Amino acid sequence: MASLNPEKTRWMRGPSTPLRGALLGLLLERPGHGGDLANRLAARLGETWRVDTNDVYRLLEQLEKTGLAVSRDEPKRNNHRRTHLVYYPTEETSEALTLWMETLLPREPVRLGLQAKLSVAREEDAHRLLQALRAYERECLLLAQLVGPTDGRGRSWAALCMDCTRDAVYAQLESEIEWAQRTRRRINEFLEHRG
Amino acid sequence: MTPLLSLVNVSKGYNDGAREVLVLDRVCLELDAGITVGVYGTRRSGKSTLLRLAAGIALPDTGAIHFDGRNIAKMSSRERGRLLRSQIAFMSAADWRANPGESVAEHVATSLGSEGLTLREARRRAMRVLDLVDAGSVAEELTSSLSLTERARVMLARALAREPRLLVLDEPALLPSLGDRDRFYALLRDTAQQRGIALLMASEEMTALQGLGVFVSIADGELVSTGSLGTVVPLPGRRRLGAERGGQ
Repeated sequence: MASLNPEKTRWMRGPSTPLRGALLGLLLERPGHGGDLANRLAARLGETWRVDTNDVYRLLEQLEKTGLAVSRDEPKRNNHRRTHLVYYPTEETSEALTLWMETLLPREPVRLGLQAKLSVAREEDAHRLLQALRAYERECLLLAQLVGPTDGRGRSWAALCMDCTRDAVYAQLESEIEWAQRTRRRINEFLEHRG
Repeated sequence: MTPLLSLVNVSKGYNDGAREVLVLDRVCLELDAGITVGVYGTRRSGKSTLLRLAAGIALPDTGAIHFDGRNIAKMSSRERGRLLRSQIAFMSAADWRANPGESVAEHVATSLGSEGLTLREARRRAMRVLDLVDAGSVAEELTSSLSLTERARVMLARALAREPRLLVLDEPALLPSLGDRDRFYALLRDTAQQRGIALLMASEEMTALQGLGVFVSIADGELVSTGSLGTVVPLPGRRRLGAERGGQ
């Protein structure tokens, strides 16, 4: 494993690290302007990530400040009188991507809103909690529905990575749904015993 | 428009020796022709019971199940049998049965026995449907020699041979290779779409349901649905929780 120099991993701090890392990968594939990179990011990660174009511009600026991307003002393809910023990888981009691939993922809080409600719920809130849990379960199902299907024919590395990305979303949603179902069950059993 | 299949306040339970266990509690679900629905649930969640009821294999304790506007529970067993043979096909990987010495083509053709076809016609249809599911190359193989992937495709061919309007699938492909599994489900989706067959498929793996039009989850006798494209959102009400009926 490559040595973890704190200077070289500073960009890996904060909740936007996965998007910054994915942007580095895309830049290494080919340079692009902000809108292009946002579209490519959304196509790779899928609808469930809800990639915001404005966030992508902000993240690209951050990457440029840390020396992992560099931008050049270039004429637009369809209108040569106007320009836009095109982002390129730097000499350090590839090493940064490798470091990110090797770095352990941070623990992330899950379903904060519902957990907070459960932690202080009163007995008379039971039905409201059941409704909230059902709504959450439905939201997870809707997200699962948004994931584009694999055509089952992919043999390339890129197709494999896309299938793994899909799997990551499904695995997370499955676990969320199972948790919501178990919690509903606990509450239902409690109410049943109370008569 | 009359839905192809509708379950209205359907309940089903069993007695575990000590108490009555309600597997489905007043479940409602509608399925239009050509719609694909994926049912996600863990083991013992009630998804197999739901599917067997939807396929007309089991009858509900209470509630009504209509297929094409006709109440399945009120049909004679003969009428129900005819409906099951001609309009609804049910497939589960766990139900694989094959006769010793039987070829794949014979296995598919014998499922058409009551269709009034000659043996030659049944065999021709079997070959056509085996080609459709990319299993034509094993038509002359013995069923006992098939790999799990080939078995899944042959089972699908057998289910499709009668040209059903509704295909009900309960864990249809428990395959060791993830790539084979993906290819099977892609084939299933494409075939259903091309032929306008409604799909109701259950799995404990969400990846099996990818690409289906509507997602439903099942647990503790209750359904939660994304309900769209003409499929009615199931009612979440529970008998013992009357106060919250009608909400979502």
